[in-house]
Amino acid sequence: MKWFKQLTIAALIAVIGFSSVPASTPTATAASKLSGKIVINGSSALLPLTLQAANEFKKLNPKVKISASAAGSITGPQAVRKGIADIGAVDWDASKDVPGFKKFDGQVAHKVAVIPFAAVVNKNVTATNLTTKDLQGIFSGKIKNWKEVGGKDAEIIVVNRTFGSGTRVNFQDKALGGTDFMTKGDNYKEVKTSGDMKSAIETTPNAIGYMDLAYVTDKMTAVKINDIAPTEANVINGKYKVWGYGYYMTKGEPTGATKEFIKYVQSTKFQNGSLKKLKFIPISAIK
Amino acid sequence: MLESTHTGRQSGLSAELGKAILAGSSKPFDRRSRLFFSNRLFRYLCIAAASFVCLILFLILLLMFRTGVLTFGQISIADFFFSTEWNPENEQYGALIFIFGTFALTALTLLICVPISLIIAVFLSVFVPPWLKNMLRPVLDLLVGIPSVVYGYLGLTVLIPLIRTVTGSGMGDGLLAAALVLTIMVLPTVSRISDDAISAVPAKFSDASYALGATRFQTVWRVLLPSAKSGIMYAVILGMARAVGETMAVVMVIGNTPQLADSLLKPTSVLTSNIVMQISNVPFDSTWNYALYLMGFLLLIISLLMIVAIRWLQKRGAQA
Amino acid sequence: MKQALELTPPASPFSNKKGLNRLKDRAFTGIVWTLGVLIIAFIFGLLYLILQDGLPKITWDFIFGLPSEIDEGGGIGPTLINSFYILFISLLISIPLGMAAGIYLAEFAPDNKLIGFVRICVEGLASVPSIIFGLFGIALFVEYFEIGLTILGGAVSLAFLNLPVLTRVTEESIRSVPKELKSASFALGGTHLQTITRALIPAALNGIITGICLVAGRAFGESAVIILTAGVTTSGEMWDFSLFSPGATLAVHLWYVQSEAIVGDAQEIAQKAAAVLVFVVLLINLIFRIPLWLNARRTKRS
Repeated sequence: MKWFKQLTIAALIAVIGFSSVPASTPTATAASKLSGKIVINGSSALLPLTLQAANEFKKLNPKVKISASAAGSITGPQAVRKGIADIGAVDWDASKDVPGFKKFDGQVAHKVAVIPFAAVVNKNVTATNLTTKDLQGIFSGKIKNWKEVGGKDAEIIVVNRTFGSGTRVNFQDKALGGTDFMTKGDNYKEVKTSGDMKSAIETTPNAIGYMDLAYVTDKMTAVKINDIAPTEANVINGKYKVWGYGYYMTKGEPTGATKEFIKYVQSTKFQNGSLKKLKFIPISAIK
Repeated sequence: MLESTHTGRQSGLSAELGKAILAGSSKPFDRRSRLFFSNRLFRYLCIAAASFVCLILFLILLLMFRTGVLTFGQISIADFFFSTEWNPENEQYGALIFIFGTFALTALTLLICVPISLIIAVFLSVFVPPWLKNMLRPVLDLLVGIPSVVYGYLGLTVLIPLIRTVTGSGMGDGLLAAALVLTIMVLPTVSRISDDAISAVPAKFSDASYALGATRFQTVWRVLLPSAKSGIMYAVILGMARAVGETMAVVMVIGNTPQLADSLLKPTSVLTSNIVMQISNVPFDSTWNYALYLMGFLLLIISLLMIVAIRWLQKRGAQA
Repeated sequence: MKQALELTPPASPFSNKKGLNRLKDRAFTGIVWTLGVLIIAFIFGLLYLILQDGLPKITWDFIFGLPSEIDEGGGIGPTLINSFYILFISLLISIPLGMAAGIYLAEFAPDNKLIGFVRICVEGLASVPSIIFGLFGIALFVEYFEIGLTILGGAVSLAFLNLPVLTRVTEESIRSVPKELKSASFALGGTHLQTITRALIPAALNGIITGICLVAGRAFGESAVIILTAGVTTSGEMWDFSLFSPGATLAVHLWYVQSEAIVGDAQEIAQKAAAVLVFVVLLINLIFRIPLWLNARRTKRS
């Protein structure tokens, strides 16, 4: 079967009429002899970090080819299991069971970043300090009006991420103590990506949602949870509990280029440099 | 298929050679047989292309059906089609809401879109002078090329706030918003192809109509539109197909809530939006994933049924 | 065509409905003009809405620069190149195949149930959400051929996505060519091939080009298929024409910037990228129209 595949690929290329020689980049400064191909798939929330790391890593190791794709978190470890990706980015430790998802046997989790999450509301909302109980009530649909939590008289519009989003898994676990979300209602909608969440919260009066702290803009308000503001400092000093690790999953212990790439992402240089600039928190900052 | 193509060409060629020799021609490859040969070759190339297209379509159907049908290992057919409970976390996979949503959204879109498109098509093909028409056509084509993400974003940031202020509802997401966005997306396709169909009606038809003293309205209504019916139907089908299958823009404005849309302003969900929202977030080998593939297959069946229905109506209309 | 003639009423200029008819005609003309102008104005308004924020800010640095994750001022260079490259390859595959298949359906295919079924299937597939083609692309290229996320995989998947529409548009355009043209060509002793290439295709060119424009525009703006089959990264270099490089296109980049990017000027990049996209689609439409104009001039002269 293998020869057939190769033949078909060859035929495809012949049909299109291009020589398939991969553009070997002649680099005068061949600093590294490392070569290989890394395919990364998985969580789109970790994508900015992955892309930045890939760019820097390629500059150091010109012979390594890195390609990344992204969808839901779960695609990461799945792609690794199927063997179509070397690294699966995921927002939870996929080598263990989490609510809704079974563990992936034989995969090793590598922590690469700390991701803080924040509950956010539209600018017109006045109730900006909520307790865990308030949040549980709002996201489970029991609290329907802002006046019940100290705001003005207006119906609460709940914006949620779709099931399987790593942000949703973490927020449910860390901010809501595992309480179930509502699933329907006149004032309830689900969005697909962090960007959609951002637009929805910015443009919908009386809306509440949640996202990575990095996406919070000045066109919305990040609410205090139990009097604690969601800031980097509060995460590091342990007061703000709503955060999670971002992981790279590999099949067994990584080797070759993949190993070096993960090493690079975990290195102090990257963690304290680019990773911080991307508004993630270095893993070493958490004790 | 390939085998027969090959032998067919061979026998055709040898027969032609035979004829050429019988006719006493000294050159076996004279102009006539060359033409005949290229004719044959072209025909087989076309057949090969058509069968390749069929093969691809068949493979896609197979992929969706094979994965989708696994759903029924877990849940009954009746549950899937007639239950309104879509709650995969508790093993409930009722797709009725999405099926209904898809039908409702498509119908609503066509209701708004077809009359407007026809007016544009008539406007472009009958009313407007040629130079203006040549300017306006590329503009319409342009609208097709705008990525659906952009439409969705505009829907989310411009249209929904507008709906909110006009209707006074809290959210604005729902069938109405989705149908309006879809109308704008489908409009260029339907009006451009209808325009081509109307323009393709031979000029002598309308000349004859005017010569008989018909007004422009009568000519358009009784001559041009009926003559271009097949093309217009095709345009509507294509537009409908896009409306049924459009995802990225719909996802951003429909609200994505698995509840029956009993009002135009209630957040709901359709087959495509549900597939796109969830397919990248579910484990490959779960019933949930199978159910999503089944919904993809269902989507295809629905559009096939709509096409068959329209063709049937068209035939009946032609006979009456 | 025949029934159309039968449907035409013998509108008598001497009937007393004349006044009413004229009134109707006036009203009709008025309605069409008003609505036509309104809709055209609306379309221009929409274009203005999309272009106003982005177009003035576009610079050469933006068009040819490399994307950036952290610093503001990232460009779209490699993604733009990939867009053209993928579009080119996918059209190279889909136009000949789709046209040949359309010609077969219009000219050679026997009129039986099977062909009818195929025709309906082709129409139905035009409505399959593009994500299904993306999944098919993954199954074919990533899992079966094991070539990973590549330009090749993305381009071929995109070609598959466009095949049904191209096939149907070609068939429909060729069918709408008046029968007289075909008969005349045959009567002059033309073979079927000559008739198709010299009479039918030139006459149907208008429709076919419209179809290709629609398809090219759609392909240029398509993101779901490319994300799944060609990835969201580029090789990070300009002018990389390897078929096996990862191939994020401009539309994919737009999606990425709009949905996940953290970089400070993400909004501005999205607006500019959208403006570039719209502009390029306009350009594509113009370029594809050139053969049409030439064709029109030639037919006019002869």
